[in-house]
Amino acid sequence: MAVCVAVIGKDNSPKYIKCVDETNALQFHYKVHTSIDIVEEKLNIGTKTVADNKELFLGMLYSTEEYKIFGYATNTKIKFIIVLQSSNATLRDNEVRMMFRKLHIAYANVVSDPFYIPGDQIKSRAFDSAVSEIMS
Amino acid sequence: MSDLPAELTARPLALIGMVGLDISNPIYHAIWDAFSNNRRPDGAAVQFKLFNSTHEFPTVKPKRNSYEWYIPKGILKRNWMNKYMNEVPAVIVIFYDLDWHDSQWNEKKMECASRVQSLRAALEGRSTKIAVVLVQKEAPPLPDTEDLVATERATALCAACELPNKMLYLLPYTDHLLGYTFRLEHVLYELAQNFYHQEYKIVKNHREQLNKTAHQYLFVRHQFKMAFLNELKQDQTTALKHYQQAYNNLLDIRMVDTNSLEIKTVASFINYKLCRLMFNLKLPKDAIAQFRSHTERFRTRTGPRELMFEHYAWLCSQYSTFAELFDEAIRQGLPAVQTQHPGYYFQLAATHATQRHNAYKELCDNVTEYPNPDPLAGEEKLEFYGQRPWRPGKLNAEPADMTREAAAIQALQYKEKYSVNHSMIIIGLLGNAISQFKMYRCPRMRRLLVVQMAEEYFNCKDYGKVLTLLMHMLWEYRNERWPVLLTDILKSALNAAYLSANIQDYLTLALEALGPTTVFSTERKSEIYQNIMNILQNKPPNPEPNLSEELKNSVIDNWMTQLNRKEPLIFKIDDDNMASFIDIRARFTKPSYSIKSTVTIEVFIRNIYNEDVEISKASVTITSPGYSAEFPITDSNMESLVFKAKESKKFLCQFEAPRNDSPELQISAISIYLGNESKCCIAIRFSSTGRDTNLLERMYPEIQQLRGGVFETIRPLTVTKIQPKESNVTVGVESKQPALLGEWFTFAITIFSDEDISNINISVNSVQDNSSEQLTELSLNMTEKQSSIAVDIDSIKADSSFQQTLYVRSHNTGEKTIEIKVSYLRQGQNRDSKITLYQFSIVKPFDVSTQFYTMLYEPLSKAFVDEPLFIMPHINCTSPWPIQIESTSIELASSMIMESESSTGENILKNSVLNNGETATDVYCIVPKTASEQPTSTGIFTIKWKRANDKASVVTSSSVTLSPLWVEEAVIGLQTKLPPHGWVLTPLCVSYFIKNHSDYLITLRLNIEASDAFMFSGHKQIDIHILPESEKKVEWILRPLVAGFVALPSLSLTVPADEEYKLNQGRLKEVIERSIPSHIYILPKPITLEE
Repeated sequence: MAVCVAVIGKDNSPKYIKCVDETNALQFHYKVHTSIDIVEEKLNIGTKTVADNKELFLGMLYSTEEYKIFGYATNTKIKFIIVLQSSNATLRDNEVRMMFRKLHIAYANVVSDPFYIPGDQIKSRAFDSAVSEIMS
Repeated sequence: MSDLPAELTARPLALIGMVGLDISNPIYHAIWDAFSNNRRPDGAAVQFKLFNSTHEFPTVKPKRNSYEWYIPKGILKRNWMNKYMNEVPAVIVIFYDLDWHDSQWNEKKMECASRVQSLRAALEGRSTKIAVVLVQKEAPPLPDTEDLVATERATALCAACELPNKMLYLLPYTDHLLGYTFRLEHVLYELAQNFYHQEYKIVKNHREQLNKTAHQYLFVRHQFKMAFLNELKQDQTTALKHYQQAYNNLLDIRMVDTNSLEIKTVASFINYKLCRLMFNLKLPKDAIAQFRSHTERFRTRTGPRELMFEHYAWLCSQYSTFAELFDEAIRQGLPAVQTQHPGYYFQLAATHATQRHNAYKELCDNVTEYPNPDPLAGEEKLEFYGQRPWRPGKLNAEPADMTREAAAIQALQYKEKYSVNHSMIIIGLLGNAISQFKMYRCPRMRRLLVVQMAEEYFNCKDYGKVLTLLMHMLWEYRNERWPVLLTDILKSALNAAYLSANIQDYLTLALEALGPTTVFSTERKSEIYQNIMNILQNKPPNPEPNLSEELKNSVIDNWMTQLNRKEPLIFKIDDDNMASFIDIRARFTKPSYSIKSTVTIEVFIRNIYNEDVEISKASVTITSPGYSAEFPITDSNMESLVFKAKESKKFLCQFEAPRNDSPELQISAISIYLGNESKCCIAIRFSSTGRDTNLLERMYPEIQQLRGGVFETIRPLTVTKIQPKESNVTVGVESKQPALLGEWFTFAITIFSDEDISNINISVNSVQDNSSEQLTELSLNMTEKQSSIAVDIDSIKADSSFQQTLYVRSHNTGEKTIEIKVSYLRQGQNRDSKITLYQFSIVKPFDVSTQFYTMLYEPLSKAFVDEPLFIMPHINCTSPWPIQIESTSIELASSMIMESESSTGENILKNSVLNNGETATDVYCIVPKTASEQPTSTGIFTIKWKRANDKASVVTSSSVTLSPLWVEEAVIGLQTKLPPHGWVLTPLCVSYFIKNHSDYLITLRLNIEASDAFMFSGHKQIDIHILPESEKKVEWILRPLVAGFVALPSLSLTVPADEEYKLNQGRLKEVIERSIPSHIYILPKPITLEE
């Protein structure tokens, strides 16, 4: 399924990045980082047209020969990025949506932790396992 | 368009040949110019070409009757496109000078005919159309006239030339040359289109004879030809259709190593044409889809492994070509979006160029010499596109010659190694991509590409460029706070800095690498730290890891010379350019200091690195406009400058506040020195506010407070004020607040000084707020009113005071402010002044309310003319201070008179003292004399009063207007005469006086009702008539029967119905109610001795 899952904060700095293939992590860091460009653009357009746009799923941000990158932004401008293998053509939009929803719920649980200070790196076993589930 | 042939990329234009135009002749030159140079933008898509009359056109191949035994040797012939674009004209035009009325008409006709014949011979076998244009000097005939000679001769000429009539054109060489050539151009263009259509038909017919097994190549070739001919015909839609078929046919061909290059080459041609046409036909989505499937299909068709780089080069050129096409289409007005623009294709092209580079490194390392004989010889002269020169026209079936094959591969590898600058290709593509991504607002993608570009510069050893690019990107990535990416860039930049022996950059990068935002391992960090220390001791740093030995050895000498210079090395590094492992905060201890006092700055230094760090010196730079100074920090508590891991320390920096024009001081920078200044030293300049680590804080300010840590909570205070010393003159004001309305309010100003001052001037003003008018008076002695007061005093000795009493009077209540300005001369100094604002409030001393009563002491709301009443002013004291009433007086309005003049005796309220809340009441009996429609004023009440508790206070007179009263005309006056009390069984006399105030005769029925308490004698019912302005008296004798407060027998007066206009019954009732007592006291009969 997913090969890389990332949570990006309001300030566009990474809060959590996990890749299936850790040796290639740098490449995914760059990929996720560059996808922020498109997320930002999409969010900007969103505010211009419909203020109460409840759709958090941003759809596919861009695709390369090997990967497809999907985005999702919460109302508090926390961005989730999921990188999928392009060869995996069977995945439907809805399934990606489900992945994001799971991720969002896991994230909501993380920030509900009274010891978590928003803006910090996410270090949570529960979140790790939720992410591994998405990536498995 | 890297490797596509020019004939493919050029726009196909119908070729029209011209014969007989000798450009050296000015007339012909003008005609040629009109055709070829003065093309209008909307002109037909044609290309004119001059041919010599003896030109040899390409020979026509013999017609093939059957394709049955024909086996094609390749797909596309190299010369075919060029032939149709530049060599075989669709139409050829013979220019010939001939006027209808030429004297040598017959000779010239023959010459023209022979020229046509020879050209026809030259074009034997081609269906090129031949046209003749007669260049005429005569003016053309008018449109409606018919020149019989011309018609006849034209027919004759056509016959001689064996040309149809419509192929003969005239070009009058006159003023309107451009107009004629334009028209001619259109006609020729139509002829050309016919030609191409005809050619297209011919190719189409070939197709029917082909079979699928042997002629797969021909299927492609024919479709390609048809498409191209349609392009020449400018029918893009049909062309597109045929290109698509060509492409599909091409895909049907089985691909093996021997033909892969040819298929890929042709595929790239057709793909190029397809995409270009789709963009032209405004089908960008189709173009992108076509390109995607094209690359998708061929990505895996790598061809022979030894020539892997060729495949990547091919892919790279596919992407870059498409990107250029896309970019071209955008320039023609196609809108692009952020997620779909040429940048992506340039980027992918760069990626493939990199792969090509990698493949080349892997494959071509051992190739050192070029094989002989050259297996690549004759590459340019091959008959077909994309074939190998060492086995041209070979079909798949034939076995390959292995030795030639190997030599050829070696030759290609050699070429790849020595004649291709891979880095430059990659950098060029990245550059294109960067500019595209910049245009489509993808700043981060742009940064990534810049980093990749830097990597490529690193590969070609241009370390200076690497550093320039990376230093720039570091700054951007630092703001984004992606530690992994930052670390990656730092690694590359450190390598580049090391290899270029750029100490300044090397140190900057190394310092940053030790900072908190990187993810270097602890060991790596301590190595970096050691490298910094090495440099500080003039030793070269240890080489960066992962560098080849060869590279390492090349720079050691460079480092040695750099470090072993005579003069001390001092590197200044600005905190703006990096994020180091030292964190600084600085603040002034106070927001302001007075001149010549000691200014203290607290400097907090924290070591974020996880090992001990020693700094040699630290200093603070202070600036203000026109002033700048650097002060070293003093070890107030003898703390050493060695910082343990994560330790923060506080230092003080003290200096005397400077005296200068600008009152502000600012901490502009804090410098930290590492190393020995006499040898090698790093000076890091920090801005005083600390680095921009507070980004998080700006995002979630409330939450960041939860974070512990003393250092984070230090608020920098980087600006302070320097103020002159305050003077010690104090101005005090004493008074008994609040002031009372209208009184002269006393206040005393006391000026105290602890030094000798002289020439003192006190000026007192009341401060006006805009709304209220001038209602405040000031006075020195309560008699002269002044709007402002000035008092001059010669001097005040040290530690003594001066007092001045002033008075102020205000005529409205509220808050008042008085400004007291004291200006004085200090010893040996300038004039100084001090302004004190004194605010006080004014309240009313008392409220006066008025009440009215009838003679019966009933509250009264309405008075009647000539009926006496009581007026009672109540003085309700509201002043916080007791007030003493000196006297009261009333001045009645003109419509009122006093009931009796005798009451001029002592004032009853004289000397009475009222405290807050107490009320005093005065009473007067008055008689209204005239009636009015609305309430009339009753009079003015004047109270003379003073403060009771203040001996010095003076009498103030306050006047109050009493409440107005409603006075009505009374028609009937009724008066009762009654003894104050009666005794049981003792008769008493009651008389009623009824007075008529009106001018009418009034008739009244008087009726007295029986009462149990009285027996009485007199009329029980009587009608009385009262003359105008006269009075009637009615009497009864009552004999009370019971004792007590007994109701009198009630009297009623009624007006006859016909007289109601004179006197209202209701009014009459009111008169009775207020004028006749209802009860009387009856005392029990006194028991006397007589009885």
